[in-house]
Amino acid sequence: MSASLALDQVDLRVRLGDVELAHPLLDASGTFDVLEYARRFEGDYYAAFPYAAYVPKTVTAEARTGNPAPRVTETPAGMINAIGLENPGIAAWIAGFGAWARLERPVIVSVGGNSPEHYAAVVRALEAHLAAAPAGSCPDIRGYELNVSCPNVSSGLQIGADPAASAAVVGAVRPLTRRLLLTKLTPNVSDVTAVARAVVAAGSDGVSLVNTFKAMALDRETLRPFLGNRTGGLCGPAIKPIALRMVADVAEALPDVPVVGMGGVMTGLDALEFIACGATAVAVGAANFTAFEAPRRILDELRAELAARGLRTPAAARGLALRA
Amino acid sequence: MNDGSPEGHTHAELWAETVHGRVAGMRHFGAFSELEIVAPRIAAKAVPGQFVMVTVPGGGFLLRRPLSLFAVRSDRVALLIEARGPGSERLTGLETGDAVDLAGPLGSAFPVSGVASALLVGGGIGCAPLQFLSEELVRAGAQVTAAFGFRDFRAARAAGAFAMERLWVATEDGSVGRRGTVIDILAGLDLPPQTVVYACGPTAMIAAVQRWSLAAGLRGYASLEAHMACGSGSCHGCVVDTARGKLRVCSEGPVFALDEVLP
Repeated sequence: MSASLALDQVDLRVRLGDVELAHPLLDASGTFDVLEYARRFEGDYYAAFPYAAYVPKTVTAEARTGNPAPRVTETPAGMINAIGLENPGIAAWIAGFGAWARLERPVIVSVGGNSPEHYAAVVRALEAHLAAAPAGSCPDIRGYELNVSCPNVSSGLQIGADPAASAAVVGAVRPLTRRLLLTKLTPNVSDVTAVARAVVAAGSDGVSLVNTFKAMALDRETLRPFLGNRTGGLCGPAIKPIALRMVADVAEALPDVPVVGMGGVMTGLDALEFIACGATAVAVGAANFTAFEAPRRILDELRAELAARGLRTPAAARGLALRA
Repeated sequence: MNDGSPEGHTHAELWAETVHGRVAGMRHFGAFSELEIVAPRIAAKAVPGQFVMVTVPGGGFLLRRPLSLFAVRSDRVALLIEARGPGSERLTGLETGDAVDLAGPLGSAFPVSGVASALLVGGGIGCAPLQFLSEELVRAGAQVTAAFGFRDFRAARAAGAFAMERLWVATEDGSVGRRGTVIDILAGLDLPPQTVVYACGPTAMIAAVQRWSLAAGLRGYASLEAHMACGSGSCHGCVVDTARGKLRVCSEGPVFALDEVLP
């Protein structure tokens, strides 16, 4: 290991596909609402935004009211959520652009749906709007993250659990945009590399993983499922070791494909571990629920972790955990 | 400022950044405990109805606990806690001098301006925000009447934590005060016609207070509780149904108009 560096000798910039990022950290979709932070921040939150890019909560073609309460519960070293993709639908979402158009960060739009046509409808509407909108009236949308952890309208199974169904979603969206296209993979599969290969072959520029693990918690009095939706998705530190393994699997199988790694990142060292497993960028999810200043702290820690190891850039750490 | 550089940002500028508080006192009232924490920044900004997110000390718990502000005393905030599970049990085990992290104040406030007469209705741990509210109302010149309902004798000891001139208590088992619910108390009260109702408690109680207020021709506010994850309005984990659609308890709430909740 090389001698340690001063903090200002570390250059955190990374390139995710064709998107330049000031550093490797993004927010995991659905865990960080810029409007909510900005309206209460004592200062200009749009200038002080802590993540290198903003991934908003998943948007779908039509409005969704989401799942019945309770929607969240804590579990050992983690939590289970079953929000149900509550969102206003793409038309209303676009109508709200004025409120956060000033955000000085690239935006990667998380898109959900229950069929390839649903995803295509969202991307088509956004691309049409962006093509016609006056300069400065929209956030700086630079890409899409296809959230394929939604049930397929025809089979009821998670789209992301089926390589062909996932590829069909990518295939429906790819012709509609030249922007960065990521596919967010579900970990609820026996071989995540099969889905990764399928979506890349269909035109996805990169993949993000992992989404949450399907899970269940019981009401300790009644022994009935606690969540209104019966099951939900497990996230937090409990899933980090599995997420690291899955990121490494994908990075080894597809060494040239950019990966956004995530799953229980609570510290800068956690983020660095995802980079060592092959991630180009790292998303922070549940840690946003532990402290509002968590993103800035994790970024400071990541810089210090790189410096302490004499690693001048995230790229110098990328893949250190992989087989040569 | 946002280029990822280690210098050039100040945590003090952030919204509701984590405050490293210290326990100034812990008093136990039957099933409830009053935790007082030195937290000047929060104490300076807080208004009745708001809450804080409290980190369970000692590790092992991912999510913070949303707790209503029970009182604000100079540079300290007080919280009323009912031990319901391992996290709240650990919080009630804190002792004077212990470190505890918290963030806030968060959420909407009980409107108090222009109120001449107020009726505060609380059920169980839902009574927690009503002490702070009562003090603010009295300061604003309002006449305050309170009706609290508890399960049993042990829970009703929480009434000892409250300092209110007109406080009526009901218990389901009749061990303290009137036997029955808060609604049984309300029926016997003689209130001025423009009295504003403030309610916080279980859903069934809020619904009953809502019906009673409608029948009595009184308007008011309800503070709701929900299972919460982020406390920042981000995760949509704590939404409730209202006349305005699904709203977040942590962001649009916890205080809502009494006639818009439980549609």
